[in-house]
Amino acid sequence: MRIEEEEEYGFLRANALGLAFGGLFLVTLLGQGISGTADFNAQQVANGLEPVSFAQYLTSSSFGVDVMENWQSEYLQFFLYIFATVWLVQRGSSESKEPGAEGTESDEAQKLGRHADGDSPAWARAGGWRTAVFSRSLGLLMGGLFLLTWAASSLAGWAAFNSEQLGQRQDPVSWVGYLGEAEFWNRSFQNWQSEMLAVGSMAIFSVYLRQRGSPESKPVGAAHRDTAQTG
Amino acid sequence: MVHACPKRRGGVIIAAGALLLTGCASAHEPEVRQVAVTFEDPSGDPEERCGLLAPATLVAFEHSESAPCADAVQDLPLDGGDVESVEIWGGDAQVKVAGDTVFLTETDAGWRITSAVCSPRAEAPYACEVDGP
Repeated sequence: MRIEEEEEYGFLRANALGLAFGGLFLVTLLGQGISGTADFNAQQVANGLEPVSFAQYLTSSSFGVDVMENWQSEYLQFFLYIFATVWLVQRGSSESKEPGAEGTESDEAQKLGRHADGDSPAWARAGGWRTAVFSRSLGLLMGGLFLLTWAASSLAGWAAFNSEQLGQRQDPVSWVGYLGEAEFWNRSFQNWQSEMLAVGSMAIFSVYLRQRGSPESKPVGAAHRDTAQTG
Repeated sequence: MVHACPKRRGGVIIAAGALLLTGCASAHEPEVRQVAVTFEDPSGDPEERCGLLAPATLVAFEHSESAPCADAVQDLPLDGGDVESVEIWGGDAQVKVAGDTVFLTETDAGWRITSAVCSPRAEAPYACEVDGP
């Protein structure tokens, strides 16, 4: 598509994918808040305790840990996938590079320094630490967000765990103590395993199956052995 | 539950999060401490002490003692004493006094006692003479 046509495309259509998923995120987060409040209050009533308001639940550690434990696993998934696909290939997958192209590739292939185009980002042309950082910025951001959300998950989980401990007439634990609790690792691993399954199965399914018009798929008529094609 | 202090969802770091959590707890500490001390005082007004029990705990206590709370509360083996520690996590709290451990919950009427006259039991929950459902 030519640039002139893109500029006439309008903001909404030009950003439809990001806007659609941003909206879906908010709707589903609201759904989690509503259903989570109902679930939490059912447990409160069963324990002879007072129910909480929607606002109280949204600011609770229970809601916080349920949100954070999912966020951290999503960012871990993308962080690992971004780095793994630099070095690992899957023959025939639209999610993979061609076999033989493993690694960080040449400056020419990556349009760095003197190989940069006229409209390449400034830091791709700058060289030195700027180019080094920009060359890894997507993975670094995903990895950083994973660490932040995992830390947040541990804090919210710690608070929720101690609240439950007190509700069950048991002593609270320290943050370090919570990191040694089975609950923290169970929450982490149950999210991580599902992300690894989703990524691995997508890499394999895209070898043999097609979705016409999707860039996540090869063209419908592409051979199963064709790698790195998108349609 | 952390009621009054919203948890930041993005960009939280451990130090900031820990400050947030402890800050929340300290705001409630005076009331939690006062409720526990008042209930634990054997010379206190029985009606006032019973009014500090959570509703479900009050019902369970009167049922188990087969007596009105104001009568039964005076027979509890409580000596009062200094507060040794206060733990507040969301809508739940624990106060350790010299000879007892008390558990509380946050209600619309303020902090109320869910369990008292509690003894630790290694890895198991405390055994409490006054306890809710």
